[in-house]
Amino acid sequence: MKLQPVRTIHSLVSRCISHLSRQCYDVIVVGGGHAGTEAAAAAARMGAETLLVTQKIHTIGALSCNPSLGGVGKGHLVREVDALDGLCGRAGDWAGINFSILNRSKGPAVWGPRAQLDRQRYREFIQGELRSISRLTVLEGSVEDLLVAEPSPDEPGSHRVTGISLENVLNPITASSVVLTTGTFLSGSIFVGQTTSPGGRIGDAPSSAGLSHTLKERLGLRVGRLRTGTPPRIVKESVDFALAELHPPDRRPTPFSFMNTHTRCKVEEQVPCYLTYTTPGVERVVQESLHLNCHIQQDTKGPRYCPSIESRVLRFPGRSHQVWLEPEGVTSDLLYPQGLSMTMPPEMQLRLIREIPALHRAEIHSPGYGVQYDYVCPTQLSSALQVKTTQGLFLAGQINGTTGYEEAAAQGLWAGVNAACRALSTPPVSLSRTESYIGVLIDDLVCRGVTEPYRMFTSRAEFRTALRPDNADLRLTPKGYELGCVSPSRYQEAMRVQRSLQDAMAALQALTLSTARCREKLPDVRVSESKNAALTGMELLQYKELSFETLASVFPERLSSYLEFSQRLKIEAVYKPHCDINKKEIERIQKEENMFLPQDIDYFSLPASLSQEAREILDRVRPTTLGAATRLEGITPAAVVSLYNYVQFAEKKGENGQQKTTRSK
Amino acid sequence: MLPLVCIFREIRRAAVHTHRKSRVTTLHQLVSTFNGVPAGLADADTIFALSSGHGRCGVAVVRVSGSASSMALRCMAGLKRRLPSPRTALLRSITDPHSKEILDRGLVLWFPGPHSFTGEDSVEFHIHGGPAVITAVLQALGSMPGMRPAEAGEFTRRAFQAGKLGLTEVEGLGDLIHAETEAQRRQALRQMSGDLERLYQGWSHRLKRCLAHVEAFIDFSEDELIEDGVLERVDSSVSTLLAEIERHLKDERRGERLRSGVHVVIAGATNAGKSSLLNTLCQRPAAIVSSIAGTTRDVVETGLDIGGFPVLLSDTAGLRDSTDLIEQEGVRRARERVQQADLTLVVVDSVLLPFEVQKAAGTLQENLTRVLPDLKQPDKDRCLLVLNKTDLLPEAQRQKLERELKGVSGLPPVCLISCQTHEGLQDFLSVLQSRVKTLCGDPLSDAPTLTQARHRAHLQQCVAALAQYQKLRDTDLALAAEGVRLALTSLGRITGKLGAEEILDIIFKDFCIGK
Repeated sequence: MKLQPVRTIHSLVSRCISHLSRQCYDVIVVGGGHAGTEAAAAAARMGAETLLVTQKIHTIGALSCNPSLGGVGKGHLVREVDALDGLCGRAGDWAGINFSILNRSKGPAVWGPRAQLDRQRYREFIQGELRSISRLTVLEGSVEDLLVAEPSPDEPGSHRVTGISLENVLNPITASSVVLTTGTFLSGSIFVGQTTSPGGRIGDAPSSAGLSHTLKERLGLRVGRLRTGTPPRIVKESVDFALAELHPPDRRPTPFSFMNTHTRCKVEEQVPCYLTYTTPGVERVVQESLHLNCHIQQDTKGPRYCPSIESRVLRFPGRSHQVWLEPEGVTSDLLYPQGLSMTMPPEMQLRLIREIPALHRAEIHSPGYGVQYDYVCPTQLSSALQVKTTQGLFLAGQINGTTGYEEAAAQGLWAGVNAACRALSTPPVSLSRTESYIGVLIDDLVCRGVTEPYRMFTSRAEFRTALRPDNADLRLTPKGYELGCVSPSRYQEAMRVQRSLQDAMAALQALTLSTARCREKLPDVRVSESKNAALTGMELLQYKELSFETLASVFPERLSSYLEFSQRLKIEAVYKPHCDINKKEIERIQKEENMFLPQDIDYFSLPASLSQEAREILDRVRPTTLGAATRLEGITPAAVVSLYNYVQFAEKKGENGQQKTTRSK
Repeated sequence: MLPLVCIFREIRRAAVHTHRKSRVTTLHQLVSTFNGVPAGLADADTIFALSSGHGRCGVAVVRVSGSASSMALRCMAGLKRRLPSPRTALLRSITDPHSKEILDRGLVLWFPGPHSFTGEDSVEFHIHGGPAVITAVLQALGSMPGMRPAEAGEFTRRAFQAGKLGLTEVEGLGDLIHAETEAQRRQALRQMSGDLERLYQGWSHRLKRCLAHVEAFIDFSEDELIEDGVLERVDSSVSTLLAEIERHLKDERRGERLRSGVHVVIAGATNAGKSSLLNTLCQRPAAIVSSIAGTTRDVVETGLDIGGFPVLLSDTAGLRDSTDLIEQEGVRRARERVQQADLTLVVVDSVLLPFEVQKAAGTLQENLTRVLPDLKQPDKDRCLLVLNKTDLLPEAQRQKLERELKGVSGLPPVCLISCQTHEGLQDFLSVLQSRVKTLCGDPLSDAPTLTQARHRAHLQQCVAALAQYQKLRDTDLALAAEGVRLALTSLGRITGKLGAEEILDIIFKDFCIGK
């Protein structure tokens, strides 16, 4: 399979509203970041006429913060987005300049594919892809407000979003679904030292006050406030690399995408990263600048896992902290100092970085800064990422309280799929936490909400051994194709892979060797003496020391045609017994997830034995399925049974034409 | 919406089908791949529990549900070929599947799925309600592959999930389930002595830290400064925990004691009257008694009923250095018995005690040390001092000893008896009985054996899962971490639930995660 070049087919990209061919779309996506681009592309792939509105066309696909994609947990998300035919995996393969698989020694379930990216190339690829997608129009403009109307009586909800109005434009644009992916722009303020200015990213205006007002006041959505930050960018030639550790990338780059066999960047073209450490001097500068640092003094929740250097030294004083010096691109003159996010005044920032050995004479290109922004408490969303009380309004990305490109892309894709489903009058779809990290992400968001920016970790996935980066295509591509967000060519490729793997595993299962023959044919494999029974090829592959290649070289006539899948087969063989153990638990959860709770239940008047506390929780969160209800804090098994009872009861009554207990409008 | 019941049934059938298929591979592969990980860990799908009330009652009902039910019925009711007709009571001898020992005679009923309470294949054993019978049957069920004690409320949950519960049946079920799960768990936890609860909570806490540190290592070590030796510290914590839990499992064999008898060993110096004590207790001349020191050379065993509890009483050779080869062997056997004993009766000839009480206490201490060289303070509950031949003492001396030795600290309880005149025997018996009762646990109080059987199963799973960590730690840390997760889940069934957030909290408290 060849790497696809950036396509140059001209499609509708407009800086002027009067160029638009229509005033009415199926789906409007607001925002051109990782969530917005995936949402728009996914909706268009689903067959919806889609409009992407962004403040600046040339920042579409911009990497606002770190120049890297993937990692442990995040790499899982990239692979899943790719399996659903999203953009970020292929964009990463196109723009990557330093590829590595993290956790290589810790087992394939937790491998973390990651790449350092060339910012320029990433943006080019995303913009090129968007241009090549039919039914997708990109418009430069600022959204002033949402159009809100009376709800449709056929669906639950107390409002309905029917489109958007643009600043300085008279006529609104209507749509069945609107996806908001405004990132940190919702009531965003930027902090540097003691100065604050409105905005979600340096150099860009904040989103309109009207939008923020509508979400909070008219739609009555609960919002919270979070903060994040970004480090200063360093001039590359001012860095003393001799004082930092060189960290070369993998010798063979592994592509993110299931559709790519290699990356654009050749092995020898890869650019290394460097590692250096903070010193006691850094801690001193932080202490001295505290009184000049507004951002750090406020107690808005920042992430525990991507903290600023200020919070790192305050929380863990007296330690040396890692600082990664990451390339920003092949031609870029800048370096990104990962781990040095800071908000102190620029002159103090310079003093601070110069306390680090490799940066003792470094120059700052642009200072670091902090951002505080509103997020919408995600427990108000359904698992389709639609606001439960507002028909047609979908949210994805940082607006839901998450952090990270990959988390944003994953939500964007799923919100785009569901926005299209609604526009095309098909039922909403959700992904289970038993089948994907995307499912874990969304389920965590809508069931538990967030208290700090949410980031994916592999430890969040209960079924980690089944949800591996290597098998995301088998898990998701067929489902995506059925829904309509996966192209036929990708589907066919996934089917080919699936068939080959199945055939190969059947061949391995059929290959049986007595222990004596094992020792003769495979002398390096330490088959334990106690086993008298014959071993199958699948069982043999569970031995650490045996690779599929070796086994295939001993039985070429049976196995050599599957050499393309050597690694995947080895992984399948090792993990199969563990996945089988999990199967029953997965089935149990899936059963509960298939029991839907009506969205219009009035939990307070429900004639069921529920505690007042349980009623309040259920009313606030409004879980969509019984499974989701079981994961709510404070919901007892007793409450779950009562709910189940009610659903059955209501259904039977409904069949007899009697009235259900529903919330009065 | 589709009728839910129909959906459940379809799903259930599909699940049962795949379950049966996967079961074969799972067990087989487990055996081949993971030596040392018991099959019970892999497939814990068939459940059993005492379904009738706890405590002594006329008839007790033990219920089994899941795909291995028919196997259990065949093995335990001696039904080789055919299963009984569905839902028809059949009188059978109920036997231990391994030893074939008859445990009871009772009714068995076979409920093939889906026409059962849970919708799965189910079996009921209607047995006699004595605690020993119930424990024996539960243990026999637990000894078969693929069987485990039911979680609280699990039968109802299965029935509920299979769509078997209609409207009226569900009425009030909420409270029932509530009572059965959370409340029962809490109650069970409360029932345990304070020490035991602290012990389990402590383990759980340590295991959480282990898991958090492994997870931190998996999720962050590539980018972050996770200090050296994190995994090594987890390794040593896991080893220590494993050893502690295993020791605990060995120590707390109350259920087994109740079934197989409390091992009481009579030991002491030669000619102290050990064999006389045995004969006195079993009220027949089971052992040869003479005035010649070293008469008993081998171990003499006899079964006794003390206050309703089974006791296996062993008389052993007197402990002394001897040149006689046979006697040397007898002494070795005696020491071996003492090692394995649940309770040791250290017999001392009271005539040989010094007149002064302080000195007498010293002599008794010497006697104790000779019999139980590694006796530790808490183990003093595991022995009794029996001062024999009080008929040969002047009455004043006897009374003085009796009065004053009780107050000497550091000594186990002291009983003064005469095997000749049976003086003091009643008092001794009541002390012995209370000891035996403690060792067995009291089956008449609120179902401690059942609770403990459940706890025991969870602890065993915990041990197996930790062994999985140790085995896979170097090959695949993700799979090894599953072991710790599983261990914690098993322990969590005793000590309470655990969420991913709790683990993350520990991670962020213990490590500076900066990327």
